[in-house]
Amino acid sequence: MSLRRRILVVDDEPQIHRFLTAALDAAGYDPIRADTGAAALREIAARAPDAVILDLGLPDLDGREVLTKARAFYAGPVIVLSARHQESEKIDVLDLGADDYLEKPFGVGEFLARLRVALRRGGNAELPDGLVIAGELEIDLPLRTVRRGGVIVRLSPKEFELLARLVAGRGKVITQPQLLTAVWGPAHKNDTQYLRVFVGQLRRKLEAVPAQPRHLVTEPGVGYRFIAEP
Amino acid sequence: MMGSFDRASGFPGRLKPGPYLGSLGLVAAAVLIAQAAQNQFSNATIAMLLLLAVLLSASVFGALPGMLGAGVAGLAYNFFFLAPTGTFAIRHGEDVLAFAVFFAVALITGWLVGRVRQTARQTLERSQAITKLLSASRDLGAAATVEDAASTTALHLSAATDGPTIVLLPGDGGLTLAAGPADLTSLSPSAAAAAERAWTKGELVTGEDWQFSPLEGLGGRVGVVGQRSGARLNLEPIGQALIQQGALAIERATLSMAASENLALRRARDLQVALLNSVSHDFRTPLATVLGSSTTLLKYDASLKPSVRRDLLESIAEEAKRLNRYVGDLLDMGRVEGRALTPKREATDARVVCEAALSRLDTRGRQIVRRYADRLSLVQVDPILVEQAVLNVLENALAHSPDGAPLSIAVEEDANGVLIAVDDQGCGIPPGDLGRVFEPFHRVEGTGRNSSGLGLSIARGFIEAVGGRIAAVSPLTAVGGSRFLMSFPKQRSTPAEFL
Repeated sequence: MSLRRRILVVDDEPQIHRFLTAALDAAGYDPIRADTGAAALREIAARAPDAVILDLGLPDLDGREVLTKARAFYAGPVIVLSARHQESEKIDVLDLGADDYLEKPFGVGEFLARLRVALRRGGNAELPDGLVIAGELEIDLPLRTVRRGGVIVRLSPKEFELLARLVAGRGKVITQPQLLTAVWGPAHKNDTQYLRVFVGQLRRKLEAVPAQPRHLVTEPGVGYRFIAEP
Repeated sequence: MMGSFDRASGFPGRLKPGPYLGSLGLVAAAVLIAQAAQNQFSNATIAMLLLLAVLLSASVFGALPGMLGAGVAGLAYNFFFLAPTGTFAIRHGEDVLAFAVFFAVALITGWLVGRVRQTARQTLERSQAITKLLSASRDLGAAATVEDAASTTALHLSAATDGPTIVLLPGDGGLTLAAGPADLTSLSPSAAAAAERAWTKGELVTGEDWQFSPLEGLGGRVGVVGQRSGARLNLEPIGQALIQQGALAIERATLSMAASENLALRRARDLQVALLNSVSHDFRTPLATVLGSSTTLLKYDASLKPSVRRDLLESIAEEAKRLNRYVGDLLDMGRVEGRALTPKREATDARVVCEAALSRLDTRGRQIVRRYADRLSLVQVDPILVEQAVLNVLENALAHSPDGAPLSIAVEEDANGVLIAVDDQGCGIPPGDLGRVFEPFHRVEGTGRNSSGLGLSIARGFIEAVGGRIAAVSPLTAVGGSRFLMSFPKQRSTPAEFL
């Protein structure tokens, strides 16, 4: 790729910009910065970044507000940076369409890995067509078949539906309400025990060590994500 | 001697011979005087003299001795002065009437005067009791702690009974002696058992050498009061009233101590929440910067430009310093809140302390104007604590005033104290925040993002620990500015002519 991908970092702390700018630059991206929510919206509109890194707890706007306004004209991936005490805001922004989140403090390796995943997805949450290969798993979404080590694995319709939603995220965390609404319908938005049961069944069928899942990963209190290459 | 006479008429059931003998003596003296002057006096004058004796003995010795005197005076009047003298017979019909009138007047006089005297005595006693109760209730009302209330109760009861009084309060291991005579440190097993019985049954229990009455508060029994066996006062109204008031005072003190403990607990919990928020909020960015910058260096060491590498390393160092400052602030705050400060007291020159604080201050190129008094009294403080306090105030002033604006620090003294004033040219403190700037984690809206919000709380804690005071004055001028004024008391005031 000859053109460097443009990444907008939104944070009010200059120290964060200092190292994120250096890291993004070194990793071959074109970092741009904004210090406030209002500036972020201006930059997104004017310079159409390939991805947005959004810190929660900006001095001027709530993270939810920034995301809602940005989503009106921006479809690219958004990664949220949060602190431990911002759980509810974090889940809200994921439900509002953020692609991923990272808790501060984080290592640059983890940050860049998440950014790569988000960029590959391109902000597009539609079901991927064709075959998804994850380790010894082969998941054919159109044919609705799953093989593990070449052997067909029998899944119930709900299990497959759930797996398909997670795989469609391609590494993105999907919140519990999003999964419940998509698979069981809006009436079951809060029945998180369904998820525990069905994810448990999927892990027993798909994971080598169900107690230490490598593909179907829990994000405690938030949701689940499917990781193709752990 | 008067005491025993008093008591005799106060308790008519017990006969004491003194007043009666006194009364007889007075009448006898009157008879003797009348005998000696019989020739000059008419019988009517003699009757007056005798009546005077009756009146006196009734008013001094009480109603019954007075009436005895009246009877004897009547008989003596008849025997010595009514013809035929030397007999109890009466010759003239007129004298019969005179004798009857004298006798009646003497008796009525004796009785009435005695009654008046008794009423006066009772009134006096009652007013004394009320005075005692009032002073007891005043003292009990002032008792701030349970121990105070117990010892005040014991003090007033023993003053009222003229005997030792003890107060026992429930503790962890049963009733414990809370107040009483200084030489009494423990009770005999039998007395302790009696006290325990009074506590559990809620009634008067008389033991070998002590008798115990329960102290009943409004919400239940609060303790037991013990008096020497044989003391009668707890049976009387004033004793009862004192016991009751003591019980209420002890109960009130218990409740108010519990309330202030609750308040302290709530304050501690609030502080804990604020502390956790601070750790989450203030540690997040420095830690994220340190981790992010160092992992960037580790990952892209070779490909980073030297200037970028240097910038990242600087940012790691800065943020580590910032973290260190936060940790120091939190520790200092913990010492202030935990009352764990043990300040030294040494003769200290406030100017030296200010210079020490200034040498540690990162002035970021700001001009510092010093205005120190040439001659200055020393104050007895802990120089290390005061230096930290002054440094915190200076850092606060730097953080809340625009870049380039000078700060000023002044040291002077008045008659009673040495004053340090730090002035800034910031925008001033909003009136609503003026009283709260010293509260932990209080940040004036929109300022001080890089501070822990603890600096001024710590300054106040340290200054108060060495006996000083700190206050904020703002705005100083029409455009703003704040002054933080710290004062440290001198041990002896300086006379005005030496200032």
